[in-house]
Amino acid sequence: MSELILQALYSGVLQGGSYALVALGLALVFGTMKVINLAHGELVLLAAYMAYMVESKLGLSPMFAIPVALVLVCTCAVLVYFLVGLIRKDRELNSLILTYGIGIILTNAVLLIWSADVRSTSSAWLQEAVVVGPFYSMRSELVFFAVAAILMAGLWWWLSKSWYGRAVRAVSSNRDAAKLMGINPRTTEIVSFVVAGILASFAGIAIFSYGVIQPAFGHALTVKAFIITVLAGIGSIPGVMVGGLLLGVAEALTVTLASSALQELVGMALFLLVLFLMPNGLFGAAARRG
Amino acid sequence: MKRIYSKIGLIAAALSLHTGGALAEEFLVGAEIPLTGAMARVGAGMQEGISVAVDVFNRTNGKHTVKVITADDESAPAKAIAAVEKLAGQGVVAITGGYGSNNISPASDAANKLGLPYITSGGVDDNLTARGYKTFFRINNTAGYQKAVMGLLDEMKVKSVSVIFSTKEATADLAKDVQKELAAKGAAVGMHAFDPAITDFKPILNKVRLQDKPEAILMVGYENDYVGILRAAKVLKPDVKAVIGVWSLATPKMAADFPDLMPSVYGTALLPFPAEFRTEDGKLFAETYKRLFNKEPDYLGQFGYVQSMILFEAIARAADKGTLKKGGVAEELAKTDRDTLIGRVRFNDKGDNINFVHRMGQHQDGKIAIVWPSDAATGKMNFPGVPW
Repeated sequence: MSELILQALYSGVLQGGSYALVALGLALVFGTMKVINLAHGELVLLAAYMAYMVESKLGLSPMFAIPVALVLVCTCAVLVYFLVGLIRKDRELNSLILTYGIGIILTNAVLLIWSADVRSTSSAWLQEAVVVGPFYSMRSELVFFAVAAILMAGLWWWLSKSWYGRAVRAVSSNRDAAKLMGINPRTTEIVSFVVAGILASFAGIAIFSYGVIQPAFGHALTVKAFIITVLAGIGSIPGVMVGGLLLGVAEALTVTLASSALQELVGMALFLLVLFLMPNGLFGAAARRG
Repeated sequence: MKRIYSKIGLIAAALSLHTGGALAEEFLVGAEIPLTGAMARVGAGMQEGISVAVDVFNRTNGKHTVKVITADDESAPAKAIAAVEKLAGQGVVAITGGYGSNNISPASDAANKLGLPYITSGGVDDNLTARGYKTFFRINNTAGYQKAVMGLLDEMKVKSVSVIFSTKEATADLAKDVQKELAAKGAAVGMHAFDPAITDFKPILNKVRLQDKPEAILMVGYENDYVGILRAAKVLKPDVKAVIGVWSLATPKMAADFPDLMPSVYGTALLPFPAEFRTEDGKLFAETYKRLFNKEPDYLGQFGYVQSMILFEAIARAADKGTLKKGGVAEELAKTDRDTLIGRVRFNDKGDNINFVHRMGQHQDGKIAIVWPSDAATGKMNFPGVPW
């Protein structure tokens, strides 16, 4: 039994890292602009399809798709920003409808271009089993867990130490006060969308490298990312990591100790429990002040 | 005078055709299929089969022709009802298509209320036929898949099986039916349900490896699930003799897209790959399919073709008898009894094809060999054998 639980914890941690990587971009934009980008999952998916293209057409490792994905996904993210910027009234609510619509357009564009077939990497190097004692994983899972950790640390450093990062936080806290301090909110918001695009690019390539992609997959990614963002508390980067890990471990333990049929239920129960006990999320603003 | 005779001749000819109820006509047929959403892949496969049936029927019938109007149900039950109602509004005489029991059920409900015959190969839930509709027909069913899986397991003589199945209705039903039959035969069965949203199968495979320790693994899911399960199995390497799946697994597409995961894996398959068509109907289907889509036919296309050809022929017969608008299509469908690409098709009073039995194929060196039943086998079973 202990071997089962150890593997469940290990799988859960790796899965949690993947969840956190997907959620980071959504959390950043949500924290900065109070806009829930419901097309975020589709941006992640777009990067995954770039990885598929690079592997299937050029015969290269999905890793080589990073530059292409960065350009395409960041461009799409900026386009989403400009479209959201056109909203004059009730931006927080109307942006939900707008980004949901953009998500549908992107899903159907993916369907049109790449068909509905199931895609995944064929790279033997990425799929190779890595066994350390009782722990089993694919090499790609370990590689991208490390990438997720590095990106999270980098993002945390950028937000807390760099000028633009501080500007993002300032605009997030008080847009008018930030303006008075000489910060251009529009530039700052564009930067946050671009950074979200960078994170989505890595997340997409990661998913293609150890999972399976299909055009309809984007929506499920957005939902998972949204749960983690709320679980973490708005604007908290460490919270996203903890939220992702918590969800990943909870799901893996549920599969091991009960049944996979209950894993989504347990995830949602955890989400509701945290919101009930800590309405601002695990690392939300109130909690941090407290 | 000559003109008068010719006019009389034309009128006489028209009258004679009318009294026989056999004017050559073009009939509108509706195709309600998921072309977007979660089931877009299978919907597109079925649509290809329907297109082939239209081409073949229009070339070979010699009298009547059909025109298909397609409505995308977006893989959603509410949209499936709307699609059927829209098609009815456009004047279709019957509907072919449907994928996923949860979409087919409300769509065929709507068709039944509108008096439209509905034929499908996309839903195996027993509740679909339990309704007893006179307008509903299905060419495949859970029992046919179950017979094939059980036949293969019997031939392997395995005494313990772990069943990993999706919680979707059709997959869960089939898994439970197989479990009952295996248990009745004294085999040890471990059941592992998984949520369709699962992305990491390692915790499940680890339970199979450490707790069940079976001789064979049976997967009842869809393409993405199979890839996830086989990936996890390649990492954990459970000590089993065979890995078996059901639909969408023993296909040329899976052999081409996932060559590292497929060796020795079994799945239901109508035909070997490369395909060998022995009948005239089969050769016509394969030739038309390749001409229209420039690729090898797959099982979805074959099912879509068979269900549509049966429907088109029933429409033609009803038109010839002048009963098209008096429920004649459903009556003619009920009388169907003919050999097809999926075997002999004959419906019971609930619209289920009582003759349906699938075959089992195995991925072998990038090809697919039919390994069960023995009278249809095109190759020897590679047993024991796993992809790792």
